Amino acid sequence: MPSNPRNLRTAREIARRDMLFSVARVPNTERLFVASSDNKVHEIDAAQQNIQPIEHADHGRYVTAVRVVGNTAISGGYDGRLIWWDIQNRRAIRTIDNAHARQVRHLALSPDGTTITSVADDMVCRIWNVATGEKLHELRGHEERTPTNFGSMLYVCAYSNDGRHLATGDRVGHVVIWDSATGMQLSAVEAPTLYTWDGVQRIRSIGGVRGLAFSPNGTQLAVGGVGQIGNVDALQGPSRVEIYDWVRRMRVHEFNGQQQGIFNKLIWTPEWLCALGGGGNGFVAFHDVANRTMIHQGNVPMHVHDAALNEAGDKIYAVGHQKIALLEIRA
Amino acid sequence: MTKRSFCGSAAHAINRRGFLSTLAGAGAGAFAADMTGVQALASPELAQELRRNQKRCILLWLAGGASQLETFDPKPGAVTGGPFQSIQTSTPGVRISELMPKMARRFKDTCVIRSLNTRNGDHGGGSRLMMRGRAGESNLDYPDLGAVLSRELGQQDSQVPDYVSFYFATEGRSFAPGTPGFLGARYGSMDLYTSLIPENIRRAGISEQDHQARNDLRGLISGQFERGRPSDSLDSHRQAYQRVRGIMAHEQLFDITREPQYIRDRYGPTLFGQQALAARRLVEAGVPFVRVSRAWWDSHGQNFETHQEMVPELDHVMATLLDDLEQRGLLESTLVLTLAEFGRTPNINAQLGRDHFANAWSVTLSGCGIKGGTVYGRSDETGNRVADGEVGAARVFATIYRALGINHQKNYYVGARPVPLTDPGTEPIREVLA
Repeated sequence: MPSNPRNLRTAREIARRDMLFSVARVPNTERLFVASSDNKVHEIDAAQQNIQPIEHADHGRYVTAVRVVGNTAISGGYDGRLIWWDIQNRRAIRTIDNAHARQVRHLALSPDGTTITSVADDMVCRIWNVATGEKLHELRGHEERTPTNFGSMLYVCAYSNDGRHLATGDRVGHVVIWDSATGMQLSAVEAPTLYTWDGVQRIRSIGGVRGLAFSPNGTQLAVGGVGQIGNVDALQGPSRVEIYDWVRRMRVHEFNGQQQGIFNKLIWTPEWLCALGGGGNGFVAFHDVANRTMIHQGNVPMHVHDAALNEAGDKIYAVGHQKIALLEIRA
Repeated sequence: MTKRSFCGSAAHAINRRGFLSTLAGAGAGAFAADMTGVQALASPELAQELRRNQKRCILLWLAGGASQLETFDPKPGAVTGGPFQSIQTSTPGVRISELMPKMARRFKDTCVIRSLNTRNGDHGGGSRLMMRGRAGESNLDYPDLGAVLSRELGQQDSQVPDYVSFYFATEGRSFAPGTPGFLGARYGSMDLYTSLIPENIRRAGISEQDHQARNDLRGLISGQFERGRPSDSLDSHRQAYQRVRGIMAHEQLFDITREPQYIRDRYGPTLFGQQALAARRLVEAGVPFVRVSRAWWDSHGQNFETHQEMVPELDHVMATLLDDLEQRGLLESTLVLTLAEFGRTPNINAQLGRDHFANAWSVTLSGCGIKGGTVYGRSDETGNRVADGEVGAARVFATIYRALGINHQKNYYVGARPVPLTDPGTEPIREVLA
């Protein structure tokens, strides 16, 4: 029986003192690798009752992204480095210094596990060979400056399920779709609603594209963040997802969450599109894109920065502000 | 003394050192602040030299409260430190946020006070405190810093405004208005909210010749009326017209398009940069106090991205302003401040924000009268408390006054009541004074 988002419940909360920005799960286990504000990557076995976290990486700065492939974890952070870690022996096996000139924001692992893509605030997307660390492509399609002459930020990247396409999204709502094999730009869509520039009251901005997910068949792209904000002091705008037919460069659908805040993570399965985020408090929304209906919205125990879904599609491992939450989606 | 309109020329014929040594016997600071009767200085060269020696102040008002941890008091590695690193400044051992590389390179003129405890985390209360240097009093309306400096550094017959305030953002504007208080409207601020050039001094289609004719007629009628009727209010009325005429004649002061393109490029395209350039033009022309407000730093959510966006602009504009003043020989007579109503919490909230925090935060003083390349005071390892050298707003203001050659214990009189510039017993931070 398929899982039913209406039966979502928080099965477990694991308290932390740090902020967790990224999570990767070892397939078919509950071993999690989390990227932390304490500058390290921690391994946590969520199957254990008495969790004994294992420290792996130390970037010396906030770690913003971690992905796991085989016995290797790959992490990136504010130091601009990418580090490959042998998770059995807990040692670094490859470091790419200056992988980016500025902080790494996100990593995406190709579905076949052969390439990993990094995006950073140098506004460059780079595709790396997982096995060798060789840089395969350097993708430049995002402006370094915003229209009002401030530095922009490149937040997120995501592969399509077949691995052929790659999407990248930045602060001003510019989303580029690339051919992951050739590095050629295929399309671009604009989601300006996700970027608020307040040129009158506060003369600064907030927002940006924070979540990206291709539809299971790869023809559509979900773009998540926060809608227009009246007061940019905080995330006081509607959590928002926009759906694009990226080939035709058309927005075909959008929905706002009930709660104010930002959607940082999108997960798109054949049954639903799940968006997780927060506005101080955490929340989740499940949407039926085909029928354009909201299935369920609810709370999560903390502001969520990232999440991972298990193979059965019935458990979400969410990480965020001082907590890990295991969410069960029962039948 | 009649002030000349600003020419922008770097040339000045007399020997500066010799001139200053002549002034030294009479007390150069006091002399410069009260030079209106010195007829001997009417020559253009002396006037220009005097303008260079006149003390001025530019306040960069970081409205909403910039984070000290992402600017001048970073705590990398602390749980409260955030994601940014610190970098070495030009002073060995002094580090500031990596978001400020330009200020790090030219730290030699700047002092950071890292031990400010103002105990007021409210926008309105904090703004009033940091604009006046003292808590309010129900039966006494204190003037703000600009009004005091306008009074102390301005010239009685000045034809340029004494206090100009740029505040284009609407948020927080009402928290920190220029307030002349008991000094009276003469020392109030010329507030610019929407345009670098004051709308009300534009000539609205009336030619300069017409203005002159009207002025002559007004002078004739007023002169006849005043004859035999000596009166303060009539004199004030006449002075007001003269100042309006003077300001109109100096409309060009506000017009940054008169700057060479390379200078405008240096300040950059942002509004803050343009206002800082206008401020430099104004102080160069003799305006004693200009406030440039950069709002709005109130980053309850997404603090790091807000500061990643705004601090590089502050870094660029502040460093460019100090460089420009120095290259024009004005930095030694111009005090550049960064003040705000408070700083931000070391604690990082769930929205990755920092909230209001007044218990251990930072301000800077650069240029005139300041021992540059220095740090005063210290916050603790996490930035939650002052660990050494705690000061309040009053001592910061006493330091500002002393740096500008003003006796911080000087009394004003409201009726018969003496009102000192700073509360009795307040001492400047002598360690930061040059």
